[in-house]
Amino acid sequence: MRVAFVGKGGAGKSSIAGVFARMLARQGARVLALDSDPMPGLAYSLGVPSQDAGIPADAVEEYEDDDGRRRYRLRSGLDPSAAIERYSTVSPDGVRFLQLGKARGVKGENSLSHQAYQLIVDSLSSDDWSVVGDLPGGTRQAFFGWGRFAQTVLVVAEPTPASVLTARRLARLALHSSAPRVLAVANKTRGEADVRYVERGTGLPVAGSVPYDETQRDADRRGVALLDLDADTPLVAAVASLVSSLSAEEALR
Amino acid sequence: MKVAVVGKGGSGKTTTAAVLARTLARRGVPTLALDCDTNPNLGLSLGFGEERTESLIAVRDAVDEGDQEHAGSAEELLARFAIEGPDGVRLAVVSAIQNPEPGCP
Repeated sequence: MRVAFVGKGGAGKSSIAGVFARMLARQGARVLALDSDPMPGLAYSLGVPSQDAGIPADAVEEYEDDDGRRRYRLRSGLDPSAAIERYSTVSPDGVRFLQLGKARGVKGENSLSHQAYQLIVDSLSSDDWSVVGDLPGGTRQAFFGWGRFAQTVLVVAEPTPASVLTARRLARLALHSSAPRVLAVANKTRGEADVRYVERGTGLPVAGSVPYDETQRDADRRGVALLDLDADTPLVAAVASLVSSLSAEEALR
Repeated sequence: MKVAVVGKGGSGKTTTAAVLARTLARRGVPTLALDCDTNPNLGLSLGFGEERTESLIAVRDAVDEGDQEHAGSAEELLARFAIEGPDGVRLAVVSAIQNPEPGCP
């Protein structure tokens, strides 16, 4: 399974993605969790202490193609699985966590790290990895192809006008060729009316509804993973059910 | 006064910016709200409503597409791109990313 979580800032992408990745791993999948957000987030919800272990610039080397254009490839001797082994960290439940690296200063030169990240992600095989990606809030990365590894894009939306407006913009990801399937995940819901609001407002099929979860707020304040604070909460139950339904669907395809 | 509001996603930037803008305007200060988010929602928090928020053409996009000459004065740009809303706050969007651009990572 390969999914990417997108949505408005603060919608709950990272919180859900971290639980999703770990629940998927508990089902026996080999899971790679990807964080391309230049601000920290997913590490907290996975429960990985490492907040800033990006891919170093020397993971790639430049070369000229036959037409004399500058291109990049992983440096010699570094194949994609070796790169994952080397640059990812292991989170609880055995999830591999690979991050782009965080923003450094006003003009941090990180284009080589970006190249390395894309090269690794583009080379992943579904046979080897289940992939759970967490993109930054908004439309920029999503519309520029940073979620292109995903077969299913999950748009996380709260039942608020700004959140569903963002989700409706992101639904355009389904419009271009080689488009992934795009589904909504209603988050911080308090009842059926909220789920219907997200369904109507986003125009997307709702794959799951995650209730507002006070324990998640507590986990956020403490800077710990929800799963490590309390695994018996509404959010965890809802995400576990989302993992099960998407897995069951995939098994049928 | 020129203020930029920044912070993590979901921390309340847009809400803070909107309340700041309308409070200033209510005190009689001519106020321009600039939405610099490529996923622009500031109009919703300012009370412009969804339709007017979505109708705004981003300044940067118009310049890039050649609809608008560079080097117009601020007043000219605002006359073309800004709309006025509750409490007289004027709103303009700087740069919106509205559609997927595959092959452009």
